[in-house]
Amino acid sequence: MHWSVIWQYRSALWDGLILTVELSALSIAGSLSVGTVIGSLGAGSGFFLPRFARAYIELLRNIPVVVKVFFFYFVVGLDAFPSGVIALTTHQSAYIADVVASGFRSIAREQFEGARVLGHSYWEILRFILLPQVFRLINPPLTNQLIEVVKNSSVVMMVGVEELTFRTQQIESETFRGFEAATAVTVLYLIITLVVATAMSFLQRRWRHTGMQ
Amino acid sequence: MVWRVGLAACWFAFFWIVRDFQWSVVWRTAPFLLKGLGVSCLLTIVSVTLGMLGGIVLAAARLGGAWGVRHIAVAYIEIIRATPQLMVIFWVFFTYPALTGQTMSAWEAAIISLSMIAAAYLAEVIRAGLLSLPRVQAESAKVTGLSPVQTFIHVLLPQAVRNMLPALIAHFVMIFKITSLVYMIGLTDFFRATIIINNRDIAPYALYTTMAVVYFSCSYGLSFIVRRLDPKYTLVS
Repeated sequence: MHWSVIWQYRSALWDGLILTVELSALSIAGSLSVGTVIGSLGAGSGFFLPRFARAYIELLRNIPVVVKVFFFYFVVGLDAFPSGVIALTTHQSAYIADVVASGFRSIAREQFEGARVLGHSYWEILRFILLPQVFRLINPPLTNQLIEVVKNSSVVMMVGVEELTFRTQQIESETFRGFEAATAVTVLYLIITLVVATAMSFLQRRWRHTGMQ
Repeated sequence: MVWRVGLAACWFAFFWIVRDFQWSVVWRTAPFLLKGLGVSCLLTIVSVTLGMLGGIVLAAARLGGAWGVRHIAVAYIEIIRATPQLMVIFWVFFTYPALTGQTMSAWEAAIISLSMIAAAYLAEVIRAGLLSLPRVQAESAKVTGLSPVQTFIHVLLPQAVRNMLPALIAHFVMIFKITSLVYMIGLTDFFRATIIINNRDIAPYALYTTMAVVYFSCSYGLSFIVRRLDPKYTLVS
């Protein structure tokens, strides 16, 4: 066990950590936006939009992430980092859309009808009444989805983005100390996951007292 | 009426576009791709089977184990569930040589790491299934004189399996999608087979469309079967 390898490669691991955090943050922002839009469409009334949302969700959920990353990198021809971000965004947006749609289903329809009677437009109702309640309801499954984004960011190493998992491979190929590198990188991933989970539970506790239940 | 015409128009547009793809490459290399698909399916089945056994052990440890055993089981489950799957594969691939000094073949690394991942996820599913049973089952089994192991195998597990069937299938599909990650350790599953063919005969549109269609039909088909078995079983992740 030569743990000094980790100290030796600390700058490489730090760069990898920065890239992983960048990938995850951008993908979380993108997939939350797209997922909320698709989820709101999927929960609405009407004929085409809910079915289109359902088709989007089912199509993108059943294809592995690597396929999407390779598609955006080799077939569409984007650079490595943008193709990773877009693939992660589209992948997780399908899951988040499903979670958001199920959150909408849990809210009583009277909320929407009462606000309609009071004269609010659809967008006002969505923005000020429905979405705040939905996000308070779906906080636990949404935390799982955000952690999934962090975990799926590791597959972007396959197209050459030098994030944490790539650095593990790099340290193994240069020093054959793969076990120490893999353990250290696993700890780093656990730290990132812990940060995300703590942030979401902090939000959950802060929103608990606003009387939305 | 109008929407049926629109739907038919969409199908016609789709087939018009894919007409120009190089499908001959797909037909020519179909045996190789099917072999890769067989590797993926075999990996999934073996990993889920071993993962079920490991998951039962972990769930039992978590629900009824001694003080230290319970904590070890929880630590294992939480760490594996919070780590990227590719990282788990790498960790297994690198740990065995560090401990024993011998290299590990790609097959062994894939099966062991996928089984570890499956065990961690399935342990949670099994625990939820066991907790969903009313306590009266375990208590009446104990009263009639069955030992704890007999209760577990003959009374609790069959009922719990019926309750957790949708989640089991969902995790089976998840493991099937994760097998695409063994590309990194050199195992030729369906994904790697398609990439190899694409590197040799450049036909990305046809090959990627085939890959998407095959993955989608396998995954969606499995979950669709469960939904048809019983309308009560709708899969929500």
